[in-house]
Amino acid sequence: MKGPLIALSPRAVNRVRFAAILGVLGPGLVSGFADNDAGGITTYSLAGVRFGYNLLWVLLASQIVLFFTQEVGARLGLATGQGLAGIVREKYGVRWAAFMVSAMLIANVGCIIAEFAGCSAALGLFGVHPAVSALLAATVVVLLLTRGNYSKVQYLFVAVGIGVSLAYLVSAILARPDWGLAASSLVVPRLSVDKLYWLTVVATVGTTITPWGQAFIQSYVADKRLGPEDLMGSRLDVGLGAFLTNLIGGFIVIACAAAVWAVGTKVDTGDPQAIQQIAHALRPLAGEGATVLFAIGLLAASFLGLGVVPLTSAYAACEAFGWETGVDWRLREAPAFYGLLIFFIASAALVVLIVPLSGLIQVMFMAQVLNCLLLPFVLVFVMKLSSDKSVMGSLVSGRFLLTVGWLGTFLLVALSITLVVTSVFGL
Amino acid sequence: MLYLSQAIGRPVRDKLGEPIGKVADLIVAIGDRYPPVTGIVVTTNGREIFLHWQSVTCLDATGAVLGTSAIDITKFQQRPNEIRLKLDLMDRQIVDIDGRKVVRVNDLRLDEVEGSLHLVAVDVGASGLLRRFGLEGTWRTIARGLHRDVPERYIDWEDVDPVERTIASVKLRVPHKGLAQLHPADLATIIDQLSRSDRVGVIASLDDEAAADAIGEMEPETQVDILEDLEPARAADILEEMDPDEAADLVADLSDESRVEILGLMEKEEADEVQELMTYAEDTAGGIMTTEFVAVPATLTAGQTIDRLRELEPNAETIYYIYVTDSDDRLVGVLSLRDLIVAKPNTLISTFMYDEPVAVGTDASQEEVTDVVARYNLLALPIVDSEGRLEGIVTIDDAIDTLLPQPSKRRIPHLFSRSGNSER
Repeated sequence: MKGPLIALSPRAVNRVRFAAILGVLGPGLVSGFADNDAGGITTYSLAGVRFGYNLLWVLLASQIVLFFTQEVGARLGLATGQGLAGIVREKYGVRWAAFMVSAMLIANVGCIIAEFAGCSAALGLFGVHPAVSALLAATVVVLLLTRGNYSKVQYLFVAVGIGVSLAYLVSAILARPDWGLAASSLVVPRLSVDKLYWLTVVATVGTTITPWGQAFIQSYVADKRLGPEDLMGSRLDVGLGAFLTNLIGGFIVIACAAAVWAVGTKVDTGDPQAIQQIAHALRPLAGEGATVLFAIGLLAASFLGLGVVPLTSAYAACEAFGWETGVDWRLREAPAFYGLLIFFIASAALVVLIVPLSGLIQVMFMAQVLNCLLLPFVLVFVMKLSSDKSVMGSLVSGRFLLTVGWLGTFLLVALSITLVVTSVFGL
Repeated sequence: MLYLSQAIGRPVRDKLGEPIGKVADLIVAIGDRYPPVTGIVVTTNGREIFLHWQSVTCLDATGAVLGTSAIDITKFQQRPNEIRLKLDLMDRQIVDIDGRKVVRVNDLRLDEVEGSLHLVAVDVGASGLLRRFGLEGTWRTIARGLHRDVPERYIDWEDVDPVERTIASVKLRVPHKGLAQLHPADLATIIDQLSRSDRVGVIASLDDEAAADAIGEMEPETQVDILEDLEPARAADILEEMDPDEAADLVADLSDESRVEILGLMEKEEADEVQELMTYAEDTAGGIMTTEFVAVPATLTAGQTIDRLRELEPNAETIYYIYVTDSDDRLVGVLSLRDLIVAKPNTLISTFMYDEPVAVGTDASQEEVTDVVARYNLLALPIVDSEGRLEGIVTIDDAIDTLLPQPSKRRIPHLFSRSGNSER
């Protein structure tokens, strides 16, 4: 070692410890937990109560694809130091950027509606009027953006997320599921020609791999000013995030399969009782308190999504149109940013006020379907950019990553087209 | 007047009016106040050819007309100071020097100046965006019907600074002349908005002192990022220019590896100072003090002291008080710049100095420092060790810093990136 030997000062010690704690909770983990938002919990639950263990293979498959898409997203952020919309605009021009952002915004408005619906559905279990719930959800968004100490709020959300996950984990174990069947379903696809089956497949994929997730991971990495040397750390983070997301999703499916599907309960999403039936998945753990526990979990999950999706959406739109950086972000200085946020909140609030309480589960479910349908429009750009040496430099995708990435993208496209075609022609 | 977006994709015809391709891009030579167009890129049969500007007789929103009928593609080569407008600037981020922020290029405005076409301004307004979508005309009609204006915003080419990455396709060293003239605090604001590689590019183009001033104004996290990305020798040079207390704070935040390397490359005197300051805990008087101050022996006269000041050229923050020490470096008195100037040159300073100076120990808390500074209306507070030896001073600007709530809450979070600072 050259140079003088420097004693570690009290200051340096503090910093190292703090950095170590922060380092654990990377963007991959946060976005992983945020994947289990209101739409996530609902969709995984519906997958379990409708088809038992049969859809577990979809979770494993989407977990693998999620890892690759998030890894590419993180790498794009590391290489360019910009968000997805910004780099699409630089590379393909403002029209393509507008196209991609529009697709993303439609999907994201769907997600935000789902979070509002989750909030209303959860509070509806306690008899709270939807208008009050919508007001609460809107307040949460505004508070998070204006007052939020984001780092601390994140920890709170993740803590609640872990709590909910543990509840499902314990519940799944107590319900004595058919572990053998669950394990084999994880790797052996049990296909069906049932239309609802495929709709649920699409929704499950759509709630796991999301357009906002792509924008989020890239902006986060770029804004943290991470660089190429952080590649391995990012991969680890993204891998862990993808794994945990679907581990939790898997236990939700198993709990629902064992506690609801296996006992022969048929859940009809239009039924006002449907949400209680879904909540029964937590009965093995909480008994009669299952509904309350479910409601708390769903509410927290909604807030988790509300803390991430509106901000990410407004961010992406501003980036595409060059409104992203001002000297500061006071209301007067960033009308586009706040205008978009108001639009998101208003449209989501409107939907939950129009849709009756019994329809909210269907709203959350269909928002995930919409996410999956619009996902290819975002992923194609991500994949194209990641193979462009002039954008990625030394971080350009290798042949293996490219093959897997494009394969996943094409599968998604095929899935979406099949769904659209069968729906349109009523097959 | 012509906008780049109006020319791109338009047909290129030869002298006889035969279409030969489409306008793909324009080339300008950087360096002049308004860069002149020096060439045109034409796509023909799926490939790009470069043509000298001399061979173009006319370029407008209807397309380009060439003065020749034969295309000679061998003559033109892109020179190092030339950039392509669409490829290198359109849709990219640039620094708006007047507005002190990073903006995105919606369109580029070209004007005829003294017979040739020059790049004159960057369109960053809504009208430029609408034009790109082909909606400007429609929008203007609607706006006129509603008696409203379409918001237009142009930035003169002279007031922009392309960031490094923007023109990565050419090996052009951007001098960042405009940026270098900004106040360090403004420069820090701009650099904060840039991506990591651009930051390093901008810092690299500044001289050590300007870089040190700008870095001194940044958030601790940004400071560390930038310093660790710079060449260690350059980082050491910049640290030498910073106030020792700021440098110590910064060095303490570096990774162990960088700290050892950078300190090893600094001048011994400066490195020792920084290391000494680092031994104090961050929230104590020792942690926020600077070792740059003026101390003189009590035996000097007023005139000799002023001569000493001229020699030392102390910086603005430290010149107001002159501390008087005995042979053991113990603090025995203080005089203000005013006392010194109004005194007759041959008076001994011990006769008019204030001989009960207020001081606090190196282990005093930040709050105590602020309290004392406020109570005695001081511009700087001397910090002494347990023996009463003068170790450093805390200037009022550093004392105030400790009172301010840490990050300014006015900003929307950079998608969570501030998480590190808010808890520090």
